[in-house]
Amino acid sequence: MDVISSTFQLFIFPGFLFFILLSFLFEWVDRKLYAAMQRRIGPLYTGPLGLLQPIADFIKLIKKEDLTPKYSDKKIFNSVPLLMCALMLTVMLILPVAGESGVISFTGDVIFAIAAMTLFCILIFLAGFSSMSPYPLLGAERAVLLLLGFEIPLMLSIAGCCIASGSIEVSAIVSWQASHGWNIFGPQLLGFAIFLVAIQAELERIPFDIPDAEQEIVAGWMTEYSGRKLALIRMARNLELVFMSALAATLYLGGPMGLAPHWAEGIAFPVYFLLKTVAILLILTIIRGIFARVRIDQMVAFAWRYLIPLSFLQVALTLIWRLI
Amino acid sequence: MSSSYERIFNLPLGPQHPALKEPVLLDLKVEGEHVVDVALDVSYNHRGMEKAAEYRTYVQDLYLIERICGICNIAHTLSFCQCVEGLHGKEIPERAKYLRVIAEELERIQSHLLWLGVAAHEIGFDTFFMYIWLDREISLDLMEEFAGNRITTSYNAIGGVKRDMTPEVANKMKKGMDKLEERVKFYKKVVLSERTVMKRTMGIGILRRDAAIQLNAVGPTLRASGVDMDARADDPYAAHSLVPFKVVTDDGCDAFSRIIVRLDETLESINMIRYCIEKLPPGPLLQRLPRRVPAGDFLTRVEAPRGELVHFLRADGSDKPYRYKVKTPTFSNLAPLREMLRSKGKYVVNVADVPVILASIDPCFSCTSRNEVVKSS
Repeated sequence: MDVISSTFQLFIFPGFLFFILLSFLFEWVDRKLYAAMQRRIGPLYTGPLGLLQPIADFIKLIKKEDLTPKYSDKKIFNSVPLLMCALMLTVMLILPVAGESGVISFTGDVIFAIAAMTLFCILIFLAGFSSMSPYPLLGAERAVLLLLGFEIPLMLSIAGCCIASGSIEVSAIVSWQASHGWNIFGPQLLGFAIFLVAIQAELERIPFDIPDAEQEIVAGWMTEYSGRKLALIRMARNLELVFMSALAATLYLGGPMGLAPHWAEGIAFPVYFLLKTVAILLILTIIRGIFARVRIDQMVAFAWRYLIPLSFLQVALTLIWRLI
Repeated sequence: MSSSYERIFNLPLGPQHPALKEPVLLDLKVEGEHVVDVALDVSYNHRGMEKAAEYRTYVQDLYLIERICGICNIAHTLSFCQCVEGLHGKEIPERAKYLRVIAEELERIQSHLLWLGVAAHEIGFDTFFMYIWLDREISLDLMEEFAGNRITTSYNAIGGVKRDMTPEVANKMKKGMDKLEERVKFYKKVVLSERTVMKRTMGIGILRRDAAIQLNAVGPTLRASGVDMDARADDPYAAHSLVPFKVVTDDGCDAFSRIIVRLDETLESINMIRYCIEKLPPGPLLQRLPRRVPAGDFLTRVEAPRGELVHFLRADGSDKPYRYKVKTPTFSNLAPLREMLRSKGKYVVNVADVPVILASIDPCFSCTSRNEVVKSS
């Protein structure tokens, strides 16, 4: 029985299948809201309200011709999309969906999450460099610069949460919030804002979509990808979107925990999880809708001049808060 | 020096690129993110229109010349008609002159709004882009009511215009102008208050006043460098000598002031259209002219939305032109463009700025392409 239940957890709920479907749903929500902000309609025809459009896009891309550039580093070039998906699906498992802890939970899984985010950036860099083409090369360069700017504030804002709850385990942070109130109500509010800005950059969305700025460097590091590989990369990026919003909900909005009678927890907690993550996604999409893209030097200057000092301040505040 | 030279590599922007609406090759020499030099190749769209014009009669040419540019078709037909009318030495009816001004200014409004949308898209502000283009529909719908078509209108004819303005259309036009004025003022407020827009356009694509004059910039590009020059004011044609308007200039010399100049020009055009509707004189629309044009040379300057447009006609007394020559505003703005794209001293051009700078001159390359270079090797 144990084997069956853990297999179910790993592959179906709250495992791979759940997260992949969720990533398609998130893409739909993102596109629909972005379109509404732009006085457009957005996906409409595939499925009710265009709900199946991301899946249709995925299938269409899989069917398309898959090209590998002649002078690319083929081993790396071909493996990056797979590695991206694998990395994202693995790190997803630490997210608590139906209870205090995720499918896997261990001391230090917060650090594992941070490492996975950095690894994702390194994979982007590899994708760009193995393409051996000017646009991906510039895109990869920009991705690394973005990493330099936003990885530190991201880590420091997560560190704030860890200090507040005194643990580097996701489930401990969630249960601490259940008893002490959400992190967002307190000195972590500043950290929450920094976290949102940093993940916007990490996800390469406007105003920080510099590594794949369409008008400047075509599709940036993804320029040479097509067909199946592009489909996988898009899925990995959607999964990253789910992961980042879910992480924000977990760290700052108390994860899936909420008011529910004991017998209904099995249904109520995933619903809370969905509501909170979608709320984060809506904030991210609104940010995406109301800004123009900044330039790479302006972005790095912004990160180092304002974001990093602020995140240090936030950590200091948390320490003082905890001592009192 | 040699070590820094090795770090320079070529980044070809175009002929196919998402930032470009038409084929053009900007061969950038890039050092990291900085553009050191640029080579321009605009000859991807040669259509042999000047030569084709020599094989057609003047009436047929009217439709050919209209298709030089989709967006500024009225400016092109206006120039052509003025050339022919000038050689005949005939004045066109007063009412037609006013209607030509209305058509021209309506075209300027839609062209400037189109450009503003494209500029917003180039700096990655897609929401702004979508908003502007939805409001541009107002001007296109008015154009359809007024001239019969949205873009390629066939409005001007040799000796006048083809369609009258009915009182209903005049009413609709007035209402549309009020709506457009409100929207354009809102966009100006957005541009002046949105920090990311300013960050991406201020100090970008600098063209100093003396350089602008020296390199023969035209249109809003020139006026954004603080030079008060407009063919409508300097060399009035149609009813421009009777319609009051202000030549908009700005001293910013950068992409941001080009946005401001175009927005203010749109507001000026709205006022001009209102004035023309108010003062529209009665009378005939068309002055019939003979098919054969007397021999002679004629040159006209028309202020197209993108800048000064020059048409030249040499007629030999037959019903076909002997030679027809068009100089589009984009052609004049190419040398200034190269100046804007090169880093010099403290002025640094980033790769990210290239699409913004390119868009800031409002290029229209297929109108500009006049020759084809075939490499022999």
